[in-house]
Parts: sequence; structure tokens; C-alpha cells
Amino acid sequence: MTTIPVVYVKGQYNHLIARRLQELGVDSRLMPPSTPPEKFEQMGADALVMGGGPQSVRSLDSLTDELRDASNLMTRIKLPMLCICVTHQLMATTFGGMTNLARKPEFGPVEISVSDEDSILSGLKPSFTAWESHNDEIVAAPPGFRVLASSDNCMVQAMKNEKTNMFGVQFHPEVSHTTRGADVFRNFLRAVDDHRRA
Amino acid sequence: MTVEGFRPSSYLASETARLQETIGNGKAIAAVSGGVDSTVAALVAKRALGDRLFPVFIDTGFLRVGEPESVKARLGEPSLGLKVKLVRAGRRFLDATKGERGAEEKRKEFRETFYRVLGEEARKDGCDFVVQGTIAPDWIETQGGIKTQHNILEQVGIDPLAAYGFKVVEPVSELYKDQVRVLGRYLDVPRDMSDRQPFPGPGLLVRCIGIVSKKKLDLLKSSTKIVEEKLGPFSYDQYLAGVIENRLTEEQVYKNMGGTVAEALGLPASETRVDVFEDRVTGVKGDTRCYGRLAGIRIQEESRETYGWLPEKLRLAQSSIVEKFSDITRVAVMVKEKRGGPPLSVIIRAISTRDFMTAAVAQVPWKILKDIAESILKTGDSSRVYYDITPKPPATIEFE
Repeated sequence: MTTIPVVYVKGQYNHLIARRLQELGVDSRLMPPSTPPEKFEQMGADALVMGGGPQSVRSLDSLTDELRDASNLMTRIKLPMLCICVTHQLMATTFGGMTNLARKPEFGPVEISVSDEDSILSGLKPSFTAWESHNDEIVAAPPGFRVLASSDNCMVQAMKNEKTNMFGVQFHPEVSHTTRGADVFRNFLRAVDDHRRA
Repeated sequence: MTVEGFRPSSYLASETARLQETIGNGKAIAAVSGGVDSTVAALVAKRALGDRLFPVFIDTGFLRVGEPESVKARLGEPSLGLKVKLVRAGRRFLDATKGERGAEEKRKEFRETFYRVLGEEARKDGCDFVVQGTIAPDWIETQGGIKTQHNILEQVGIDPLAAYGFKVVEPVSELYKDQVRVLGRYLDVPRDMSDRQPFPGPGLLVRCIGIVSKKKLDLLKSSTKIVEEKLGPFSYDQYLAGVIENRLTEEQVYKNMGGTVAEALGLPASETRVDVFEDRVTGVKGDTRCYGRLAGIRIQEESRETYGWLPEKLRLAQSSIVEKFSDITRVAVMVKEKRGGPPLSVIIRAISTRDFMTAAVAQVPWKILKDIAESILKTGDSSRVYYDITPKPPATIEFE
């Protein structure tokens, strides 16, 4: 069985991530970001998913304890990782990109245009509707990351780092109104499998 | 509906065992409301405790017409076998919330009164435990600071034993609504009850926007009855009414909203108008509670007839408003107005959702909305009827 803990950063939908993964046959439960990296190894984690939360991550100097821990996990853990909403932004901040106040925030349904459908957005071209809730956005993707999808208001809706198997999405694949959300998780599971075999 | 990965039989087995261990030979009160969560929680506890469980229904006064009596009768049917004690406490709840305008203050006063009354009942029956139907979204929203759900204590650092004299047990607190429904059907809860639309613990209090008054509450009760009757035959997941006073704000920040709306609707500015209400409503933007304002769009009657419902364009107008004006969490469109009526508005809301964590606006046919509005205005207790066109997020399902 594949084991994928969800790093709980106090977002409303974090529990839904674990639920969606369980529905796909994955062993998944919430773990706090303060969990030591060794612990994830001991439990045989194959990957990590990090959820959204109410915090802002425009600067690494003013992170909450939780997000500082989450940022540390990103740099220390060498497993495939899918980061959603605020942790997608945190990934940008952590690896040298930039997050700022969105010119136009997005709440509710948003049309996502897919530019690169390999890996996590496989089968989702040309576009799909996803649900969002964010005031901040990534304004510059970090070096080594490729942008996979955008929306009218937000440039980096999804990104990936080929080398490290890190993925980020601004939208919420875990909420039921993102009807293609399960495809995103399924695609991520495929990437996790590939990583395990390699 | 399938709920993958959830097995009611094994959940029930482990949960009854856990309850037996926690409560031992003790007795417990079950706080029931007639809703699926508390009914299922009480039935799970009954399996564990048998006659040592005492179901109690508190009439808070914020209930729908005839609700206390009908719930007592339903739960007492042989298939469920919950013998419910009815506690009338409407006066106490009304006094406790009197004069409070803020949604959180109202919710906290409600919670305080609710648990005091429960504590008194527990003492009368010699119970050390209270069983309640808290489910996952309740504590997620409270913990995340979105809103204070009335049934959340321990998760926000309130020790119920010290504060009210009992311990709390929550047999379904890890489940979502759809899972509770599956468990309910497994426990033989009749389908009309297991699939009943949710009704919040604080009831009509959180739909009576701003200060509570008898006049508003009466209008809310009659409007709720009309909305439930007319929308009941459709399969919307939740449908309700709210009441707000027609006190409008003239703040400068909202000045350009009319232009934003006209542009989104593709109508000349002269054919639309936007009012922003003074009283605040609850929303959630970027995972953060946003206690903001309600914008009411009015489209000239003749243009409305020409263009019809305009669902796509209204959706665009709604999202343009909440994007541009950070203080606005909700947008409604006026269905009908009666000039010269009392300065109160009724807001109709209907949504579709699976787990109540996100919600889409239901596209109720315009003709039906108009029909509901006419029935509501006919009672003579209000002057405007709106339809809420905001998804969750950025709004929440309930108004406060």
C-alpha cells in the first residue's frame, strides 16, 4: 500500500486531502509540520502532500512556526511532494521564487488553462474548472520549476520541478467541486510510483 | 451516492466500544435536534448505553414552525426509539442574544446558554456525559477561526466539565456529512431524515442578520416555511431564507461598484443599481474568516424580462465584486420589490454541495424565485426579496 501523509497547516480543506487519497486506496492521515523528517521515513512514507492554510508567505522572515516547519520539510525531505494553495506559494518562496498580494484574488470556480499536461495535469488539456480561495499568488516561479497551468487572474496555477519531483497547485484538487481533482491526485500517484521504481 | 473507503459496520463497532470504555457504567444525555448528525450520534450512543442514554431536545425559540413537536414525534417512532424530553428555553435564548449585532457574539451567547441548559438537564438526570453530533466541518471551521460553531468546546480550549459540569462525547466527530448519512441509513434512519437538509444548531439566529427582533424572527419563520415548501420538491442540497434590515452604507469605497456590475452584466449603468447593506455577513476568503458586507444587485424590471436569468453574467458580476472589494463577501440579486413595505429584506439561498465544505449556487428557475418572492411579499412584513448568488468560498452557506 502506498503511504502518503498530509502535512496539516490548519487549512479548512486539509482533511479532505487525506479523504481523497484514502478513496484512491492510499494510506493517508494528517501529520503536523513539526514532525521530524526521520519520522516520515520510519513510517514508510512514499510521498508527502501539503495543504492550504490561512497564513501569508510573502517573506521567509515572517513565517508562522507551522509554515517555517513546512518550509524546512520541503528542503530536507527527498520524496515526491504535492503542495496545495499556501504551501504551493511557500514552495516558491522557499526555493527562490516570489509570492505577493494577488492583483485579482480568486474565490470559487476558476477556469484553469493547461499549457503542459505531462505529469500531474495529464489528460486535463485544454482546460478545466477548479475551485480556489486565495488572496496571494506566486508572481515568479522559482528556478528549476516549470509552469504547467495558468488562469486569467493568476500566472502560476501549477508548477513542477522535474529533478526533485516537487509539484505545486494553486487550486484545490481536494474539494468536491473541482470535479477533475481526483485526476490530479491519480496523476500524482503515478509520479510517486515512477519515483519509487526509479 | 457512494462514499468510498467508509464502512459503517466497522465504524459502528469501534465507536460503540470506545463509548463503552469512556462512559463505563455512567449515564449520558444526548442533545438531539432532529438533524441527521445528532440523530445518528444518539443512535450510536444508544447502542453502547441502552437505557442509560437520555435524549434531550432544547427548544431554543430559533426553530422552524412546529419543529420541536414534530422532531419529538419522529425520533420517538419505534424504528428509532429515542424517547425525547422537550425543554422549552426560548425566552432564555432570546434574552441572551438581545441587542447583540455581531455574528460571533451572537453565536457565543447562544453556545453559553445552550450548554448551561444542557448542564442543568444533565444534573437533573444524574448524567456525567453529554453526547452530541459534532462532525468534522464543525470543528475545522471553528479551529480555523471561520466561525464559532455552537457545539465546539474542547477543540477551542473550553473544558466542559469545569464550565458546565459534564464531559462531552462525540461519536461522529471525525465524519463528514455524507459519511454520517451512510451511517444513518445503516442504522435504519428513514431516508427523509438521513437525507434531510442541514439546519444549524443556533437555528434561525444565524439567519437573522444583525440584531435579533421579534419582527425579524417572525418574518424569518414565515419566509423559511415558504422557501422550504416551494424548493422542497427539487433536489437542492440546502435551501433557506435569511433576513436583513434595509440599512444601506454610503461608504466611498463602494462608489464604483455600480460600474463594475454594469460592465460584467453588459448592461447600461442606468439599468442596474447596487446597494451595500450595513449589517455584516460571514464569509471566507483565502482560508480566513471575512466578516464582510452584502451587495444587492438590482436590475431594472424591463431589462430583466429582456435578458432573463443571466446566470453566467451574474456569476461574473459576483466574482468581479468580491475580487475588487475586499470587504464584500456576498452578492445577491433582487428578485422583487414592494415599494413602501417595512424596511426588511428576505434573502433566498439554495446551493448544491457534497460535503458542505464548498458550495455552488443552485440555478433555481427565475419563475420559481419570482413565485417565492411574491408569496413572501404578500405577507406584508418585508419590502424586498433577493437571491444569494455567492458560492462558498467566498461566502459560507449560512449567513452568520
